[in-house]
Amino acid sequence: MTSGNEISRRSFLSRSAVAGGAVALGAGASSVLAGCSSSPSASPGTPTSGSKPGVGTGTPVRGGSLTMATVSEIDGFYPPANHWDTTGFLYANAVYDPLMAVAADGTIKPYLAQSMTANSTFDTWTMTLRPGIKFNDGSSLTSAVVKANFDALKASILTGVALKQVVSVTTPDDMTLVYHLEAPNPNFPAGLTTQVGYVVGEAMIQASSNSGKAPTPIGTGPFMYASWQQNDHFTATKNPNYWRSGLPYLDQITFKPIPDTVQRESTLRSGGVDMIQSADANTISRFSGSGGSGYQLVDTVTGVIGQPTLTYLLLNMLKPPTDDLRVRQALAKATDQAQIQKIFAAGYGKPVNGLFLSGSPYYSSTGFPGFDPAGARSLVNEYKAQHGTPSLQLTTIPDPTAIKLVQIVQQMWQQVGFNVSVNEVQQATIISDFVTGSYQAATVYQFGAVNPDLNYVWWSTTTVSPLGQIGLNFPRNSDPQIETALLTGRHTTDNATRIAAYQTVNERLAKDLPYIWIVQQFFSEVAQDRVQNFANPTLPDGSPGYAFDEGIIKPTQIWLAG
Amino acid sequence: MAKYLLRRFIQLVVVSFIISVLAFLLVHLLPGDPTAVILGPNDTPQNKAILLHQLGLNKPLWNQYTIWLTAVFHGNLGQSYLNRESVTHILATGFPIDLELIIISQVIAFAVAIPLALVTSRRPNRPVDNVATTGTFGMLALPPFVIAPILVAVFAVGLHWFPATGYVPFSQNPASNIHGMILPSLAITAGSIAVYYRLLRSDLISTLQEDFITMARSKGLSSRFIMWRHAFRPSTFSLLAGAGVNIGALIAGTFIVEYLFAINGLGYSLVAAVNQRDYLVVQGISLVVAIAYVVIQFFIDFLFTVVDPRVTRG
Amino acid sequence: MPDDRELSNTHAGAQLLSDRVPGSAAFDELVVSRQSESLASDDILVKKPLGFLFWFALSWVGLVVILALIANLLPLPNPNYQNYSAINAPPSIHHLLGTDDLGRDLLSRLIFGARVSLVVGFVSVVVGLLIGGTLGLISGYKGGRLDSALNAGSFVLLAFPAIVAVIAIVAFWGHSLFKITVILTVAVIPLLYRVVRASSLSFANRDFVVAARTMGATSGRIVFREILPNVIPAAVSFGLITAAGVIVVEGSLAFLGLSVALPTPSWGNLIANGATNGNLQINPYIMLWPVLAMFLLLLSINLIGDRVRQRFDVREGLL
Repeated sequence: MTSGNEISRRSFLSRSAVAGGAVALGAGASSVLAGCSSSPSASPGTPTSGSKPGVGTGTPVRGGSLTMATVSEIDGFYPPANHWDTTGFLYANAVYDPLMAVAADGTIKPYLAQSMTANSTFDTWTMTLRPGIKFNDGSSLTSAVVKANFDALKASILTGVALKQVVSVTTPDDMTLVYHLEAPNPNFPAGLTTQVGYVVGEAMIQASSNSGKAPTPIGTGPFMYASWQQNDHFTATKNPNYWRSGLPYLDQITFKPIPDTVQRESTLRSGGVDMIQSADANTISRFSGSGGSGYQLVDTVTGVIGQPTLTYLLLNMLKPPTDDLRVRQALAKATDQAQIQKIFAAGYGKPVNGLFLSGSPYYSSTGFPGFDPAGARSLVNEYKAQHGTPSLQLTTIPDPTAIKLVQIVQQMWQQVGFNVSVNEVQQATIISDFVTGSYQAATVYQFGAVNPDLNYVWWSTTTVSPLGQIGLNFPRNSDPQIETALLTGRHTTDNATRIAAYQTVNERLAKDLPYIWIVQQFFSEVAQDRVQNFANPTLPDGSPGYAFDEGIIKPTQIWLAG
Repeated sequence: MAKYLLRRFIQLVVVSFIISVLAFLLVHLLPGDPTAVILGPNDTPQNKAILLHQLGLNKPLWNQYTIWLTAVFHGNLGQSYLNRESVTHILATGFPIDLELIIISQVIAFAVAIPLALVTSRRPNRPVDNVATTGTFGMLALPPFVIAPILVAVFAVGLHWFPATGYVPFSQNPASNIHGMILPSLAITAGSIAVYYRLLRSDLISTLQEDFITMARSKGLSSRFIMWRHAFRPSTFSLLAGAGVNIGALIAGTFIVEYLFAINGLGYSLVAAVNQRDYLVVQGISLVVAIAYVVIQFFIDFLFTVVDPRVTRG
Repeated sequence: MPDDRELSNTHAGAQLLSDRVPGSAAFDELVVSRQSESLASDDILVKKPLGFLFWFALSWVGLVVILALIANLLPLPNPNYQNYSAINAPPSIHHLLGTDDLGRDLLSRLIFGARVSLVVGFVSVVVGLLIGGTLGLISGYKGGRLDSALNAGSFVLLAFPAIVAVIAIVAFWGHSLFKITVILTVAVIPLLYRVVRASSLSFANRDFVVAARTMGATSGRIVFREILPNVIPAAVSFGLITAAGVIVVEGSLAFLGLSVALPTPSWGNLIANGATNGNLQINPYIMLWPVLAMFLLLLSINLIGDRVRQRFDVREGLL
């Protein structure tokens, strides 16, 4: 589904009032623009001698039980009704399979599907399912089941938007589905790698609509749901009849949410879990060098496929003083990105001038203002002469890392003449504040939905609303040139045209400055040395899969060294 | 006694009722509602209206309250708006955790505070007493969120004696359950030790000045015997009262420790529920906290009669 | 003898209470009243000069208060200034107590933080004593419906999960120093009310009170001239401990992001910062100094409280 529907549970469940990270929006979902790969997926944080972290050596060993600590907890397993973030996809990869998956080269390949082909105008897509696949309740995977999933997803107020472009789905036979789109979309399969692409058993859909209770997961995945105690653990046991023969290697996998990063790391170091997930760059530095001996670290520092999750500062373009371009320029020029990356992101991170990082085919010089305190000061003085000292409130959730970032930014902005106060608000209200435009400036991390088209709703002029009304274009940036470019990017089949379109988007954003870019949001996975092959998945056709998708791994091919 | 019990029961009902009303009003009047959390950016007026209707949140407040109250009398506390888990289930999993945390931490607190007070009160303001006083104030100055990471660094990461996080239900494995609860309990216990020590010490000092102690001394009884046999029991009133208030505050009040140790107790659930405007969960937990508080006070009162049977009830 | 008096008094109090207040936690009060007396009689036999420690403690409290008051005039670096070239610096001549994870001077933050912590701790208790104490005084002496109502109210406040109320109020109202102080004041009122009420109750039927009543003194006169002076020692001693508790609680609120707006330092948020983001491992000084300052302050306040009580035990003179 589009990232637009995915509000990270991280910001609601983890730490409750206590923690969270910057406000997380979007992200997590693997959704890649076909044909546009960039850097290698997994990056070895600690180069260990010989072997690559997360890639198994020797013969796979069968059996054993793996425990992994996650950043957050999910709100449920039912794709039409729940919000999946990184953790949601981790759980989903254990009990379900997606229709489509991302390959290591960034292409979209069939997973539960056997093939996915478009007509010449890319507005009708035909999918054939793999034969002989059974859900763990014994029912078979048929086009009727996938259609039932589609209907539930489309009817849901949460996921319906993601399938808005699908006018209808027909099932000519038991194994074939035809998606009729309202307009051409050569990237349609990418959407089926996300939450709306995971298929659940028909009995689960019925259970969900019949009772008010959360349904028990029924899937085709490598593991079968065994028990889930929210905020405590989720355990799944090996699916003995898994359709990918010989897999999985593990007998059992357990996930434990441990919201506090340092405590999660301590649990790994004290042997309480076999591996951990982290969204804090400091984890990477703490498990690099001598701190990482005995552990394998896989992270997103050297790059992700396509568009990374970015931490940025959101500016409201309809509220004074940030409605004045000079103020936004001054704020951008006052923000010392390199310094922030050093203090806040443990020194990791490339310079960020827009939505894409160097190495991505979309990357270009955007004209995003660099650090220039003198320039910022003169802009502030110019504004001051007309309107007085610009004051603004910087909104954040009460999370220790977000608070650190906010305080750094506060000082930088104050040093060029702004009056900045910090406003800590609760997670329950911050999203509505963004949607209704009742904020001046805020920290957010978002946009990790690689295929830039999946971020359409956030940038489109069609989602700009006046203050006080619902609008997904948080900064209320009404730019027809961006809209045109976004639509070109969606509909074109020509790669160069698409790249040029998104470069235009990027340049326009750097010019009008609704967002001040800070740093890539880093995800990492750290495992004991005996955990093998956790970042080296293959797809059903044998080709390598996208190994480390913004903190999401696939448990299917993990084994434990003896 | 029957009259007393009846009065206590009425008190329980009245306090629970008032607290349920307060909790209900507080969470409902808070800015934001569960639909904002459930829908996120899809929180359009249409979607919101649909969801409010589905959740029954479009009814007038008093109506929502009476519906809830009626259901409560039928033993149904409702379910979470967010994950559709029943509130009874949340309570059934969370309450034993709080209970266990409280029991272990309080047992440790009493086990440390009582002997310490017995030793130091015999010779107040001497070096041992001064060290104990200093130590207990140190404990007061160290909040659980400082003690917890230190304990974990030393005893989990360093010595590997205890797990750093996590909870194993008692029914599943009693040994690992207690093993895992030691560090969280220790993080909580420091403050309790300090309070109990201060209360018991001052009562003991005053009791030891009383005539019957002097008399016992003059009979040549050993001072240890006097302490246990004569002085201790009449000196536990403040201790018990303090324990009542303290334990009352710990029910669903240990959320920071629960967060740090990734234990899904009542406190953690409560804070999460308030932040997510999960009304029914907040109401359910608040109700249980109120009832537990009243029951604890009742139990403490009962202990007073054990300590001093002359105490009768009018 | 003190012990006889004490027993008969407390029991009378309990009887009265359970007669008058259906379902009240009779023995809660009984015990507190007993405690107040025992605290007072605690050191009768060790009446001695205030001593070196007392003056040391008093100087420490005085120093903290004065530093907090004149913080602006001191030659201290701006407590909020982040010096990125001195992040996590150990104590040195440039930064006497070192710097934090954003390069801010810890001495300066400690001193400025004392302002918040002292205001929160002492204003809440003083105001709490004025409101809760006065109510408790009257309630304990008068009894009747007023007493029942106030007592029930305090019971409800104590039984209500405090964190729900704090989150709710902060969400409604924001979190300036003033507002946090108000919230914590409201939180301590029922506690102080109960202590003072219990104490007042135990004096309500004493001979000297009965005598005053038979001589035709007004209720107001009895409450404020006869009972109040006797209640003060227990109230003050309990108030001091409560103030200490409130300073710690402010730290917990800071940990939850529910306290004063950043980057304003308070001992509580300094400790919270020292315990999060892995700072405990990297730079324990962030947490150490405020914990130490708070520890010494609590110790000193307790010592001063003890000595003052020994010295000015009003009740002694009345017997």
